[in-house]
Amino acid sequence: MSEGSVTRGSAAPVEAPVEVGEPEVVDVTATDKPWIVIVWNDPVNLIVYVCYVLQKLFGYGRNKAMRLTMQVHHEGKAVVSSGTREKAESDVARLHAHGLWATMEHPS
Amino acid sequence: MQATIDPAEVELLRALPGELRGLYEADDPGDPVHERLFPRAYLDPTQEEAEAEWQQLVHPELLRERLEALELIGSSLERGEPHRGRVRVELSEDETQAWMGVLNDARLALGTRLGVTEDMDYTVLDPDDPQAASYAAYIWLTELQGDLVGTLLG
Repeated sequence: MSEGSVTRGSAAPVEAPVEVGEPEVVDVTATDKPWIVIVWNDPVNLIVYVCYVLQKLFGYGRNKAMRLTMQVHHEGKAVVSSGTREKAESDVARLHAHGLWATMEHPS
Repeated sequence: MQATIDPAEVELLRALPGELRGLYEADDPGDPVHERLFPRAYLDPTQEEAEAEWQQLVHPELLRERLEALELIGSSLERGEPHRGRVRVELSEDETQAWMGVLNDARLALGTRLGVTEDMDYTVLDPDDPQAASYAAYIWLTELQGDLVGTLLG
């Protein structure tokens, strides 16, 4: 976010400090962990094409998309996105629509 | 964007929709080409139920989009105009994406059939190999797709 140039008037209300209660103890179980979407290396898809698809689908910058693409190329796979099960299912479908070999899993 | 290709290339591209339609619609789950075009989402074999639900949900849409792309590449080729011995076509954004998808699927299908590897040496193709023509088509598709991606990435 860019810095704004709004000058606050003296009449601006003073925000009251927010009461901070005891931190809620969250029981982190496996179900809270995000699903991950993996793109696997394959001998057909071009490196530039994979990079293009990652930029197009996820809005990644060129550098991030190329880093992930090269990880797929050299290490055989890379995690390209994560989130809820629904998001992962949707991401995998979009990747398949573009011919990338993608799967989803839930790290335990 | 504007595509300028040879008349012979137009003929090859015109043949793609028919070939791919057959592969898309073939109900042949064990076929490696079909599996490559429509892979599983869940690798984990214990997630078979989730996989079936996911396939049921997304497969019709994935199929519909692909068939639509075949229509788009076909209709765009019909508009080709002669230009200095070549054929020039003005492509809309949707058509450009359709070309990209069709070229990539054709490469996936052909590459899977041929069993291409990452370190395949394109320079030592044996003309007596019965699959030489398929390799040549694969190489041509690769170059065409490479040009297309290069243009889109700028």
